[in-house]
Amino acid sequence: MTNAAHRVLWTVVALLLVALGGVALALNLGRIPGGDSGAVLLGAGLRRSWRLAAPWGALAVAVAGLLAAVSGLWLLLRELRGSGEDRRGTLVHPGRRGRTRLAAAALARALERDLTGDPRIRRARVVLTGDPHRPDLWLRVEIVAGTRTAGLREHVSTAVRRYVDTADCRPAHLDVTALVDAGQA
Amino acid sequence: MRTANRLATLLLAVLLLVGGVLLAVEALLSAAGRPALIVDLAGWAAALGGTRWDEPAVRAAAIGVLLLGLCLLAAELRRWTPLRVDAGAGWHLHRRCLERRLTVAAGSVPGVRRARVRVRRHGAEWRPRVAVVGDPATRGEVEFAVRQELHRLAVARPSRIEVRLLPRRAA
Repeated sequence: MTNAAHRVLWTVVALLLVALGGVALALNLGRIPGGDSGAVLLGAGLRRSWRLAAPWGALAVAVAGLLAAVSGLWLLLRELRGSGEDRRGTLVHPGRRGRTRLAAAALARALERDLTGDPRIRRARVVLTGDPHRPDLWLRVEIVAGTRTAGLREHVSTAVRRYVDTADCRPAHLDVTALVDAGQA
Repeated sequence: MRTANRLATLLLAVLLLVGGVLLAVEALLSAAGRPALIVDLAGWAAALGGTRWDEPAVRAAAIGVLLLGLCLLAAELRRWTPLRVDAGAGWHLHRRCLERRLTVAAGSVPGVRRARVRVRRHGAEWRPRVAVVGDPATRGEVEFAVRQELHRLAVARPSRIEVRLLPRRAA
C-alpha cells in the first residue's frame, strides 16, 4: 500500500471515530432532539428484536464477522505483499507472423543490470506501472559516496534510452530517486 | 508518521481478522444454542443493558474516542515533511540521505565540532537548515561547504541556506 493509501485509510478511520465519539457525547449530554439520555445502551426493545429474529440475527452477525475477517486478511496481504508484484505484466508486440511477448519483470531486471554496470551505482531498483506500451518508469538508485550526480544523470538517461529501444515502448513518465551515501567524498 | 501508519494498518488488519473470526464463531455458536467459546455474550449484554447514556463512564469513553479521532485527523491532515527533494528533470534525492550528506560536508569544515542539517520546505521550495557547534568564524565556510556539496549533487540550489551557529560550550 502506498503512503497516500495509508493516509486516506487513517483519515477515514479518524472521521469515523470523531463521528462516533461526537454522537455518543451528544447523547450523553442530552443534546440530540428525541434522544433519551436516561435510556440504557442496550435497550429492552433491541434485546426483544434480537430474540424475535433468532437465529437470523446471529447468522447476520456471523456474516458481518466473516466480512470483517476477509477485509482484515485483504489488508494484511496488501501490507505484506512482496515488492515483486509491481513488476507483473507483459509487453506484446504484434508482428506479421505472430506476436512477441516480453515479461515486464525481465525487462526491469535488464535495466537494473544496465544501471548497476556503472561502479558509481551500488544498487538499482526498477518498477514499472501503468500501460505496458506507455509505462511509468520508477527508478531508485543507490549512489556511492563522493559521486557527482551530474555525470550520473547521463548514464541513467543512456540506460533508459537503451531500454526504450529494446522494449520498443515509450515511457509516459520517468521518476528517479537517488539515495546518496553519506561517506566522505 | 509513514512508519506509524504502516504499523497501525498492520495492527488494524490483525484486529479485523482475529475479531471478525471470533465474532463469526461466537455468533454461530449462539445461533446453534451452544455456550460461548471466549466472549461472555450474556455478561456483556447485561452490562450494556444496565448502563445508561448519561453516566460519567460513557461520557469519558465518548470524550476519549472523540479526542483520539481528532488527534488522528490532525496528524493525517497536517503537512508532512517530504520523503524526497526535487532535484529537477524528474530526479529526486532521498531527503534523509541528502541531510546526512550535507551534515558530513558541514562537519568537515575545520573549527566545526558538531553539525546537523535538516531539510525543510518553505512554500514551493526547500531549504537546508544547518545547526553547527563550533567556532563562530566558520559560518561562511559552512555555507560554502553545503553549497559545494549541493553543486556536486547537481541539485538546483536553494536561494538561502540557514546556518545557526552555536558557540562551543566551555569544558
